[in-house]
Amino acid sequence: MKGERLKSAKAARVRNNILIHILLAVLAFIWVFPVLWVIMTSFRAEKGSYISTFFPHAFTLANYTKLFTDTTILNFPRMFMNTLIIAIFSCIMTTFFQLSASFCLSRMRFKMRKPFMNMAMILGLFPGFMSMVAVYFILKAVGLTEGNLIRFALVLCYSGSAALGFQIAKGFFDTTPFAIDEAATLDGCTKWQIFTKITLPLSKPIIIYTVLTSFIGPWVDFIFAKVICRANADQYTVAIGLWRMLEKEYIDNWYTSFAAGAVLISIPIAILFLNLQKFYVNGTSGAVKG
Amino acid sequence: MLQKPRRLLALLLLSALALCLAGCGSGSSGGGSGSGAEDIRLLVWAPSEDQAQASGEWLQTCCNNFAALHPEWNITFNYGVADEATSASTVAYDPEDSADVFMYANDNITVLTDAKALAKIGGKYADEIKSFTSQALVDSVSLDGYLYGVPYTTNTWFMYYDKSFFTEEDVKSLEAMLAKGRVAFPFTNSWYLPAFYVANGCTLFGNNNQEELGVDFGGENAAEVTDYLIDLAANPNFVIDNDGAGMAGLRDGSIHAIFTGSWDAPSIKEILGDNMGAVAPPCFDLNGEEKQMMAYAGSKAIGVNAHSEHMVAAVELAIYLGSAEAQKLHYELRSTIPSNTELLTHEDITADPVVIAQNDTFDRTSILQPTVSAMGNCWTPVQNMGESIRNGTTTHANAAEQTEGMNAAMNSNGIS
Repeated sequence: MKGERLKSAKAARVRNNILIHILLAVLAFIWVFPVLWVIMTSFRAEKGSYISTFFPHAFTLANYTKLFTDTTILNFPRMFMNTLIIAIFSCIMTTFFQLSASFCLSRMRFKMRKPFMNMAMILGLFPGFMSMVAVYFILKAVGLTEGNLIRFALVLCYSGSAALGFQIAKGFFDTTPFAIDEAATLDGCTKWQIFTKITLPLSKPIIIYTVLTSFIGPWVDFIFAKVICRANADQYTVAIGLWRMLEKEYIDNWYTSFAAGAVLISIPIAILFLNLQKFYVNGTSGAVKG
Repeated sequence: MLQKPRRLLALLLLSALALCLAGCGSGSSGGGSGSGAEDIRLLVWAPSEDQAQASGEWLQTCCNNFAALHPEWNITFNYGVADEATSASTVAYDPEDSADVFMYANDNITVLTDAKALAKIGGKYADEIKSFTSQALVDSVSLDGYLYGVPYTTNTWFMYYDKSFFTEEDVKSLEAMLAKGRVAFPFTNSWYLPAFYVANGCTLFGNNNQEELGVDFGGENAAEVTDYLIDLAANPNFVIDNDGAGMAGLRDGSIHAIFTGSWDAPSIKEILGDNMGAVAPPCFDLNGEEKQMMAYAGSKAIGVNAHSEHMVAAVELAIYLGSAEAQKLHYELRSTIPSNTELLTHEDITADPVVIAQNDTFDRTSILQPTVSAMGNCWTPVQNMGESIRNGTTTHANAAEQTEGMNAAMNSNGIS
């Protein structure tokens, strides 16, 4: 009697597990499928934007080599470099601004603290691209919309509002006890030393989180790059280049290379994520335990 | 443990800096220093293929020729990339800081004139342009009697077919073609679909840019066309071309005719070789009556910025870039179909089937695509009609009603 009940409980568990795994497999397939399709298209030997069969008939590396050799019309290597430069510098500046602002708001008490936080909250409700034409004219007035200065202008665009995105890092810093800061102050630390020698080493996860998010922003942005680059093709970023490959004049010749480009730009992000993912999960859970 | 990431970061920073410095190339090249010549700078925007080494640097060649023709100016050219279809939106939000001379598609003309970005061309310059351009093309870049650019090519769509499959007689009638082979048409694309409605007497702004007349895509004649289209979409030999399906079918041999424009000519030539045929859109049989499909036609033109500091030089450059000499080079380097009336009589140009098809379409089987701003309301309703026929939501039972709905939507801006 008892054995039978155990057996049926086991059977029920096995059945549930099978059902759950089938469901997970179906969901995994749905999520992975588009990625797989892009990768397959990037190796497809047949030209054109459409093929009637699901799997390509032949595979080739030519789509990748075309990106790097056929550079007279769409110079992919240069766009890739532009994007990388812009993303790296924006990432450094954004991370610094954001962590500094978070530290100040978490650790210091000043009159504008509450008003600033409220204001940042309200400003954060508006999408950034609402201001893009205004930003363009300001940059033009300062003379940053020509030649190589465009890269600098884009870095400014992406990192300019970084201090407004303090919420998550501030929440993290708030979990570090004030007592540690007070002890450091008694030992003669300045605020800067507390920030660099105490708070930051305790906050690795949130630094990683900030670095990741601030790298991906400029890496995938299209709108600001399009508005500010205008006709300066030598300053184009990858997002503009990929978009141009799908225009009606190019699509038949460039579609498979477009897929190859999409695969290539996902590589740096994939590397960053794979190396930093364990911090990414920790990033939102707090600094000092117990 | 701490040492490693720090070194990595330093390396990253250093390489980024190195790349940044390497990216700073040299500026533009200047002309020679002529004695007494006026120093001027001209910024010219054109599509990237016009400037690419692989396709013969048409723009640079023409600009240098122009500079040689005008010793009175010592011109420094700067080049930027903006293709005809999208240049208007780029110019419009900051005309003052845009090119002196740029190229645009004529359907964007109101975007540019609303932004006060286009210079009116008049006097001897207008006469010169009119002397080598057909009246229809001049009209395509004129607004309220003013000329706003130098047209250099027509812009429309027509039919490509496999000559080994269809005879020259077949391609005059859509029904004859469908009986013999498979035909792909961009049914859900509102640049193409109105051809059937216009064929049966539907009009857009009087087909004459008269905004107050509105769109007439309603009534019995339009409903007849909707009924015809429902049957057409159900024909197993008729393929609804979308996302490159027609081109793919041509490539694997399952489709024998497609509708597109001159920009696809190189790809189609590669697929069909000597069997490539190009011809104006065919007629179709509407309740026993033969109707001619009427494509939208427009032009591409060279515009001069109203804010240019060197207006005379800019206008003269625009005219030179649209001249017979530049058009001929454009045709040789990039197969851009010329519009110069004199060039079109040359034998080597008239022997090209794509040129014949495009010009025949422009002259005979097309209407000028309206340039009034209200035209902006006309795209989505027509596309919806194509899609609803494809999806089976529009049927013979509700065709008249759906057609009226489309007509109402085309005449409304969706707000008032």
